[in-house]
Amino acid sequence: MSRENTKFLVVDDFSTMRRIVKNLLHDLGYSNVTEADDGKTALPMLQSGNFEFLITDWNMPGMPGIDLLRAVRADAKLAKLPVLMLTAEAKREQIVTAAQAGCNGYVIKPFTAVTLKEKLDKIFDALGTPP
Amino acid sequence: MAAEERCVLQDKYGNRFEALARAYAAGQELEFEAELDELLRVRERSLFVEIGRLSRDLNAALERFTFDSRIVDLAEKDVPDARQRLAHVLTMTDEAAHRTMDLVEGACPLAERTRAAAAAIAPLWDEFRARRIEVRDFRSMLDQIDRFLAEVQVDAERIRSNLSEVLLAQGYQDLTGQIIRSVMHLVEEVEQALGNLVRLSNTGDGGGHAAPHASADAATSEDGSRRGYGPPVPGVAHGTVVTGQQDVDSLLSGLGL
Repeated sequence: MSRENTKFLVVDDFSTMRRIVKNLLHDLGYSNVTEADDGKTALPMLQSGNFEFLITDWNMPGMPGIDLLRAVRADAKLAKLPVLMLTAEAKREQIVTAAQAGCNGYVIKPFTAVTLKEKLDKIFDALGTPP
Repeated sequence: MAAEERCVLQDKYGNRFEALARAYAAGQELEFEAELDELLRVRERSLFVEIGRLSRDLNAALERFTFDSRIVDLAEKDVPDARQRLAHVLTMTDEAAHRTMDLVEGACPLAERTRAAAAAIAPLWDEFRARRIEVRDFRSMLDQIDRFLAEVQVDAERIRSNLSEVLLAQGYQDLTGQIIRSVMHLVEEVEQALGNLVRLSNTGDGGGHAAPHASADAATSEDGSRRGYGPPVPGVAHGTVVTGQQDVDSLLSGLGL
């Protein structure tokens, strides 16, 4: 599998942010991007959709991102799915919580295209996915 | 003793008292003791009723106290915080609008320069295609095309990068949206608190009405860390927050991520 073909799921309750992330991913060469507006919608999509990368916000009505992350790690089929948190949540203890819950990266909003690229590359490198 | 009070006493104890007196007069010890027990039971029952009433009053007073202290919290902390949050929203929307306009203003002259350069070459190109261009004009056209090709690459890249920045600048909608949503919750809570206050002042009784805010408040602190707090706002206490991506990265690398 090459990085460009990776199937992404972008989860954020604000459609503007989903569009931004989707556009940035397109600019970076990732064109297989699907959207969901909270954890509750995202989880069944992940369970049935063969997604290879999850980018999720934290603060969402319904199921927040941290719960989605925990649900993903608790699901044998999804346990290894790379998860990048993309959120405005800035408390140190939250970042520690997310790391302990098993996220692969944490990008704080507002963010830059360069930061997003760096974190994606870092995660892919760690997974050994060829560029 | 007023006739009314005597009547209540007689209703409550009269029969038992007379039976007790009869057993006493007749020297019937067993019946006397049974009536005495019964009298004591009647007395205990009214004591329990009284204790029940007192405990209900106490409960109502406690709820009213929680309610009052929440109103104080709202007035002294949450409402000023909300003002600060909205001021921050104003700043963010202002910055995002200016950033967007700066980027558009930066891109427009580049697009205009590309258009003007193409327009300058076009008549010479038409002459060339019609095979009637002068040698001198042909050389000039080649020079212009050389410059145009170099410039258009640089300018188009600047325009593309500005557009990408414009896209990112729209992230303010998410960030301010989260802040506005938290203020909306607060307004809802103030509305409830005011409603309760009106009810209290109408009835003089706080019992049972003050519960919703207390549970809402408990819910907020209970799952704040799970639900998320939204973007940090300058001047509003958030505990220890990171200052940016670098801070996040060093925190995570300390955790081995």
